[in-house]
Amino acid sequence: MSIPRQFQGYSTEHFFDKMFSGNGELRARSHYEKIYQRLDRLTETEISERRQQADSSFLEHGITFTVYGDEGGTERIFPFDLIPRVIPESEWNVVENGLRQRIIALNLFLNDIYHDRKIIKDKIIPEEIINSSKNYRPEMVGFDPPQEVYAHICGTDLIRDDQGNYLVLEDNARCPSGASYLLENREIMKRAFPQTFGGMSVRPVEAYPDLLLRTLEYLSPRKSQKPVCVLLTPGVYNSAYFEHTFLARQMGIEIVEGKDLIAIDSCIYMRTTRGLVQVDVIYRRLDDDFLDPMVFREESMLGVAGLMDAYLKGNVALANAVGTGVADDKVTYAYVPDMIKYYLNQEPILSNVPTYLCWRDTDRAHVLENLENLVVKAANESGGYGMLIGNQSTLKERDEFARLIEAHPREYIAQPIISLSRHPTFCQEGIEGRHVDLRPFILYGEDVEIVPGGLTRVALKKGSLVVNSSQGGGSKDTWVLREF
Amino acid sequence: MLSRVADNLYWMSRYIERADGMARMIQVHQSQALEYAQNDQQLEEFWQPVLQSICAESVHPSEIGVRKIGKTLLFDESFSNSILSCISLARENARMVRDQLSEELWLELNNIYLFFRNGDALDLYNQGSDLLLDRITRFSLVFQGLADATIPHGEGWRFLSLGKYLERADQTSRMLDTLNLRLKEPSRADLMSVLRCCIALSAFRQQFRGHLSLQNVASFLLFSEDFPRSIRFCIRAIDYSLHAISGVPTGTFSNEAEKLTGSTLAMVNFTDWNQVQAKGLHQTLDELQTTLIEIGQRVFETYVLLPSEIKSLGERTSAQLAQAQQQQ
Repeated sequence: MSIPRQFQGYSTEHFFDKMFSGNGELRARSHYEKIYQRLDRLTETEISERRQQADSSFLEHGITFTVYGDEGGTERIFPFDLIPRVIPESEWNVVENGLRQRIIALNLFLNDIYHDRKIIKDKIIPEEIINSSKNYRPEMVGFDPPQEVYAHICGTDLIRDDQGNYLVLEDNARCPSGASYLLENREIMKRAFPQTFGGMSVRPVEAYPDLLLRTLEYLSPRKSQKPVCVLLTPGVYNSAYFEHTFLARQMGIEIVEGKDLIAIDSCIYMRTTRGLVQVDVIYRRLDDDFLDPMVFREESMLGVAGLMDAYLKGNVALANAVGTGVADDKVTYAYVPDMIKYYLNQEPILSNVPTYLCWRDTDRAHVLENLENLVVKAANESGGYGMLIGNQSTLKERDEFARLIEAHPREYIAQPIISLSRHPTFCQEGIEGRHVDLRPFILYGEDVEIVPGGLTRVALKKGSLVVNSSQGGGSKDTWVLREF
Repeated sequence: MLSRVADNLYWMSRYIERADGMARMIQVHQSQALEYAQNDQQLEEFWQPVLQSICAESVHPSEIGVRKIGKTLLFDESFSNSILSCISLARENARMVRDQLSEELWLELNNIYLFFRNGDALDLYNQGSDLLLDRITRFSLVFQGLADATIPHGEGWRFLSLGKYLERADQTSRMLDTLNLRLKEPSRADLMSVLRCCIALSAFRQQFRGHLSLQNVASFLLFSEDFPRSIRFCIRAIDYSLHAISGVPTGTFSNEAEKLTGSTLAMVNFTDWNQVQAKGLHQTLDELQTTLIEIGQRVFETYVLLPSEIKSLGERTSAQLAQAQQQQ
């Protein structure tokens, strides 16, 4: 009797598939060979058992995110797929170098625009782009942040096109989330497939919390003593709250809410049962807007009145710095390759996705004529909101976006619809190809550190290109292989 | 330790102790009702003093039906002391201080919460309410055992103890008070139920050789020196926890909470049944409950300063606004 094969009937179609090369007959790429052999022979029961184990493990450990727009603040697990994404080391090395180059350029750019603005004077980037960016913070002009770093933690989203080239989709230089899933996914996979994992020399990721803590401590204004670092969370209803407690616990630092902190004489203290304790570094998972009601949004109940004053006087460090959002504005994004050339005098190692800027008359005309074949994005949204995918949209939606673009050209960009690479994924009807991206986490402290791999996000809906957890996305473990 | 964290630990612990007390209370009284209350009217008369003692004014037997009282006390989220409410609130507090809890402790609490949320608890209840109530009391014992066995006995753990014993003293006083709230002289069955609610039956029998009277039961639950649910024992534990937190020797005080606890402890240490009778049992219990509430407030004022800017806003609207902003 022949054993049913899990990959029977799997088709790569016309996409770049991470596991299989070529069309027609399935040939697993060499770095996927072991996984292919293992999965192909799993029985239905084994698969569903492992899936159930993984799901209930997430739920029981409270590894959940909060769904917004739901009164009770419903908690869901971020769906997890058991088939790992594998990256050979040589391939990863290129990505790593590219990310390193990029974060250095982004930080030089932030330093420049809040100081001399050379890049504007040299006519590389138009001034109005910077000044009109929603996340540009004039309060930061002339301020030197600790160690002159702005974006200490950056989560850059990468995709691969139909040729398998890595492209940068966006830089998340404000409060990127997902690192906790990267760590938890690894734990689950080690339990689900210990032999396969053990046999493949996967590079570990467990150092992330230590590296993060070192990055934070490096910023402390008080060098004479062990720095007091805290993680500032918006609170228990935030979608990433699990991640906040997870990281704080892994680093062994306090997780605080705004009301736990108080500013006195331009220093920040936390309220403890033993009185006030001075805080040196705040890893804030709170947007600029909410940080300080005296400077930013007045109605914010999550921030600390007087925090900006303490920050600008150098008595407390913030990671990331205030005003980094100007670097991950989707219009600024289009200029990152130019920044790399300008500041580093290097060619970009990782390319951008070609981007049309609607505020340019020629680009806008092109976008409006070709809405059906483009992805349109709002320049300052994240989480997959404010987006039009041309070939999956209705005429009404396209008309709506056309109106929005005409009314606020600065606020929109468009990109060709990239045929994202796909990865085998467990679905309702067995294993099928699904679109994936990759979010590595880049830490910029004394040095640039990137844990190998990152969070692989997968669009679980058939044909969908949107991987965000709020839009039906899931995640996979990412295995960067050591090569000998 | 962060003040807010101390507050969350304290309340998590209180809610779990409360769920435990509620579960036992429901179980004991349901069982007593089987034998002593035959029709709906008798059932209503039977439950009334119990509901009154636990401040369940919002639960009206005539509206929900006397046979659904147990289910309401278990599952009704509009009743803030229902077991489901207690477990949800305990978990909510735990979620805010996960970094302080051991993984084992969190799993235990989260599992019982998920057990309620996914409908399994209701299924089990429908198979037999005792099965579910046993499961809840077992959960609280495991939880408290894990708290003792898996987290450092430092400041955080002291706040857990504080919450547990304050709640327990309160529960014991309320169970005892049901005897006053009954219209007639407490029966033998009533006395047995109160002892059972406080898991005190065998300990009581050992001490009094089974001589069941109001005087003996009340003296035991008020003044027993070594029974861990007597009010005297609980207040001594509160006194001890408070001094362990502040580092000040017992017999002295450094804040209002310690001062009030110390004088209450002296009172229960040096009081006997005659004095209780002279004042009236209900009056004595009532004053004790007021004092316990005040101790809780003094603890809060001493260790958990609330920022005045939040106090000035309406509590409900500010909570909703904060929730909306957290979902930025």
